[in-house]
Amino acid sequence: MKRLAISLSVCLALLAASATGHAKRGGGKAAAPAADENAGGEGGDKAGGDKAAGGEAAPASESLDTTGEAAPTTIEEEIGGPKPQRPTTTLTWQDIVVVPRKQFLKSGRLEIAPIAGITVNDNLIRHYMFAADLNYFLTDALWVGLQGQYFVKQLSTQAELVGLQFNRISTMNRYLYGGQFNMGYVPVYGKFAWFNRSIIHWEIWALGGIGVTLTENISRDPADQDSKAFKNTAMTPSFAIGSRFFLTQWLTVNFALRDYLIIDKYEPLPDPNTGPCTDATDCKNKAPGVVVNNFVAYVGVGMYLPTKFSYKTPR
Amino acid sequence: MLFNKHRFALLVAAATVAAPLAAQAQRKSPLADAPAIRKRFELRSSRIELGAGAGSTINQDYFHTVMINARLAYHVTDWVSIGLFGNFGVAQVSTGFQGRVVDSLDPEGMRMTNVDREPDQTGAKNAMQQIGSILGAQLEWTPFTGKYSMFGKLFSAYDFYLVLPGIAAVNVKTAGSVARSCDSTAPTDEANPDRYVCAVKGTKMGGKVGVGFHSFFGQTVALGVELSDVIAQLNPSGRDVNGDGMADKNDLSWTNTLLVTANLTVYFPGAKISP
Repeated sequence: MKRLAISLSVCLALLAASATGHAKRGGGKAAAPAADENAGGEGGDKAGGDKAAGGEAAPASESLDTTGEAAPTTIEEEIGGPKPQRPTTTLTWQDIVVVPRKQFLKSGRLEIAPIAGITVNDNLIRHYMFAADLNYFLTDALWVGLQGQYFVKQLSTQAELVGLQFNRISTMNRYLYGGQFNMGYVPVYGKFAWFNRSIIHWEIWALGGIGVTLTENISRDPADQDSKAFKNTAMTPSFAIGSRFFLTQWLTVNFALRDYLIIDKYEPLPDPNTGPCTDATDCKNKAPGVVVNNFVAYVGVGMYLPTKFSYKTPR
Repeated sequence: MLFNKHRFALLVAAATVAAPLAAQAQRKSPLADAPAIRKRFELRSSRIELGAGAGSTINQDYFHTVMINARLAYHVTDWVSIGLFGNFGVAQVSTGFQGRVVDSLDPEGMRMTNVDREPDQTGAKNAMQQIGSILGAQLEWTPFTGKYSMFGKLFSAYDFYLVLPGIAAVNVKTAGSVARSCDSTAPTDEANPDRYVCAVKGTKMGGKVGVGFHSFFGQTVALGVELSDVIAQLNPSGRDVNGDGMADKNDLSWTNTLLVTANLTVYFPGAKISP
């Protein structure tokens, strides 16, 4: 008998333990007596599946207090006798909000973004740009930052065809390095569904900057490259429009189209009276200034510090 | 007897533990595998899109073509559609590069060079290629759909689509009169200027890829913007490309023609609501 009593005690203990565990799946407060009947044990699962609603499941402590839901059931039971319980799971609905919070907060965070880009509007010479952005977000929509650039040139087919077709040699400059101070603003925030299976948040930003670009002549006569080519530190205001796609709490993919307005100097044409320039200094003095629109399309990866953030306002 | 009771109790205990575990295993979130958005307006599925607008080529060597366009598409599903498009050139705008090249050449009748392949200004400009029209069909994929807010005030549904692939018929002409077509044989006399220039005319078949988006005003009207690349065998200068010292049909090469178009489109019939 003693063994039977122990066995039954074990049974009861296990039953109680499993029932308690079952109820706890509904959330922290679901263990309250009134919630036990209505929770149905699915609250935790549904909360976990809240990606569609906003991306984050509510912590257990935020689960709905279902005490109020139990009262009508009690009245019905008193008036009309017991009725089948409705399978209400109000714990889930709290996690499905009409307007989900922004998935990603940037205010007070630092963005480090390596960038790779290509110039898109020059018929004769193409530059590959490798750069890095360092941005600090003053608010969620406003930031200041620095950008450093390194360029690699490539002559286009058209640069060669000009000689073949028109018997002309192009006047071109190559870009070496550059730096920018930027201020950016985010006017557009959005989200999209990927084949209606997942939600991705993104934003469109606009940016203005000022900086310098170090440029160098590509001499029309290759023999003059060492003696007459000069470098120029060109003032470079810039404007950009771009977008960020938020992947995790600390990672974004960025796309942008940026116009670097390089106030540059090209190799001068020979003067009809004095002839060609004699050396790099003379060539630079005689070089006319021109404003060059240098459009660069680039893609970057934004990494944020600190890597995590917390919401300051209640959900 | 005592032994049987004990076994019975253990069985009850096992069942008591196993039942919730089994139920827990069977329990699956009703939101798992569910659509990301329910009860949304199906802005594309089974709808016809009709649009008209304007556009321009970009990144051209010698002439940008300003176009008006029309577009007709049937959206088979929410993310696949078949479209027809027509872009018709209404104006040709000289590029800055063309201006610099032509200005560097000798004026007509004042040739100061003895290089036979070097044209004068009029000869160079006349042979340059212009686009008359681009017609074609395309398959469109719409993987991204969503909503955006502008300044937190203006909300709009939108979609992004890919044109992959499309076929295009590019009708080209020359800017002026050229003595011979590129389909004819080039003169053998190296001193003959006509040896180095020919007229690229007619329809060239090519392919098309692109990206675009629609921003909806309500459920019926949308603004559509598309950036596309039409790839066809062209010769923008009408001159020697392959370096064989003459201009003919062998100088046609696969050339990228970038187009930006914007149009106002109307969708019909009315949008359904998803489950």
